Amino acid sequence: MTADIDLSTTCGPVKLCSPILAASGCFAYGQQFAAFTDLRALGGISTKGISPLPRQGNPLPRICETTGGMLNSIGLENVGVEAFVREKLPFLRDLGVSVWVNFFGTDFETYVECARSLGAGQGIDALEMNISCPNIKKGGIEFGTVPEVAHRLTRACVEVAGVPVIVKLSPNVSDIVAMADAVHQAGAAGVSLINTITGMAVDVRTRRPKIATTYGGLSGPAIKPIALRMVHQVARALPALPICGMGGILGGEDALEFLMAGAHCVQVGTANFAEPGSCARITDELRDLMRTLGLSSVRAAIGCLEGHPAEPEPMLRSPWSLREPV
Amino acid sequence: MTAAQFEVRVEANRRLSGGYFLLELVAAAPTPIAAAEPGQFVMLRGEWGRELLNPRAFSILDAPDPTRFSILAKTYGEGTRRLSRVGPGDRLTATGPLGVAFSPPSPGVRDLLVAGGVGLPPLHFYARKYAKRARESDMSEGACPSGQVEMYYGGRNSDDLVLLGDLEAWGVAAHLATEDGGVGVRGYVTAALAPRLDAAASAGEAVRVLACGPTPMLAAVRRLVLDRGVQAYLCLEENMACGFGVCLGCAVPVYGPKPYRYCCTDGPVFDAREVRWP
Repeated sequence: MTADIDLSTTCGPVKLCSPILAASGCFAYGQQFAAFTDLRALGGISTKGISPLPRQGNPLPRICETTGGMLNSIGLENVGVEAFVREKLPFLRDLGVSVWVNFFGTDFETYVECARSLGAGQGIDALEMNISCPNIKKGGIEFGTVPEVAHRLTRACVEVAGVPVIVKLSPNVSDIVAMADAVHQAGAAGVSLINTITGMAVDVRTRRPKIATTYGGLSGPAIKPIALRMVHQVARALPALPICGMGGILGGEDALEFLMAGAHCVQVGTANFAEPGSCARITDELRDLMRTLGLSSVRAAIGCLEGHPAEPEPMLRSPWSLREPV
Repeated sequence: MTAAQFEVRVEANRRLSGGYFLLELVAAAPTPIAAAEPGQFVMLRGEWGRELLNPRAFSILDAPDPTRFSILAKTYGEGTRRLSRVGPGDRLTATGPLGVAFSPPSPGVRDLLVAGGVGLPPLHFYARKYAKRARESDMSEGACPSGQVEMYYGGRNSDDLVLLGDLEAWGVAAHLATEDGGVGVRGYVTAALAPRLDAAASAGEAVRVLACGPTPMLAAVRRLVLDRGVQAYLCLEENMACGFGVCLGCAVPVYGPKPYRYCCTDGPVFDAREVRWP
């Protein structure tokens, strides 16, 4: 006979009753899942990315399956801030789970505008700032790859948001710790690690890329080892920075791997497509596995990984933190 | 009617000609598929581990009782290859019924069902459902039923045309076309359909076209019906990860206020006039 497992956790100032959240882009605005699963079993929901104006998305084909994953290039299609707040947010707010609104802009000003209009007083628990989508024009790639630019953008959004801002980082960088440090020093309440990895697939019969925009974002279990490595690197180098881990989580054991590597909570993305009840199942599996392993709480599991003797030294100070803040 | 996700077992995997296979699936308890209408679909996934993540979409071929339904498929990629190998007792996960069905027959309008290759299932289901009703009303009322249907069915060769015996048993006239001329008209199914549409126009006969098949075939059918002002509905196929309106992968270009609608939730059946194809 064992006491029940304590699943509660936090991501910085954001309190969560469970470490399992649904990931942005894989859960729409939540309503579609109500027919399949009890949404109240989730720790939280990160919405489809919201921009100030509605976006219609990319041409076809937008998705294709790859070994252990899938590529997508949806094009950040969304209903826009105004329709989101009016038509989608009330449903999410009423669920009682942590509501994370993923958002982005097409340039510096629209990012800040979006953060302001989704800010305090609307029942949003956190803003998850997407600086890592490859589909934004006008130098958008810099937001997610140049630490100084990410720092400036984060600081501007944190100043107007009035709710915690968690920055979703791109894995398509050479130094993830530098990016995490840059947004942390700008006031980010945490980081989401990782967004999709840019990839490509070829149809040899048609001699064309399998998705219309040639390159797309790879998700699913194929990217899990990379996601774990980045979570671990950031957690070791920046222990004060809360991390929401994600990338190919399909089961409770995957979730626990991320927690042990240093994530405070995790998001489940691609799994929702095949199994709309996957978040609830993964939560059950996590609870059972923790009981088996003698872990009584999520807090006890976070960062409990023990290194091998040959483990490299963590980067105690990232290259970026040696520079003067912008 | 709300979709659900549930487990089914394979009752039979019938191998048909041309690489087609027909899966008869049974659930432990009644499922919402029982209320499925022709044109609706189901997402199916086997125990595929972590290598192959997403389910595959199949039109429902038949739902004979509350726990049973069947699909017709052809091996195309890795997912259908694995499904083609299942046998009795194997478990699959099903999600459905999904999507918008063909609307039922209208009194006084003859339905011309146009199927190309693997596009047969929704039209076969339609013929089963409404031709049967037509026969029953034939017997009970002796009047010409509103639900009379004709089938136009095309494939590469005679092996590509399956389940013809069913159409015969239901008294549905089948007009066949094969690319090699092995059976029926030589050429595409549109070669059989075009003269029928012209004849209907000259006779002042009210007809409606319901079509499903490869996109080039549907594009050809669309041109035929738009040129002639015939009402038509196309059952489309797109890559889908989820099937219930979340992944947004299955966008269909349309005319109207928005450039895209979604094959899974707005379709798969679309008015031919709405689809924005060249």
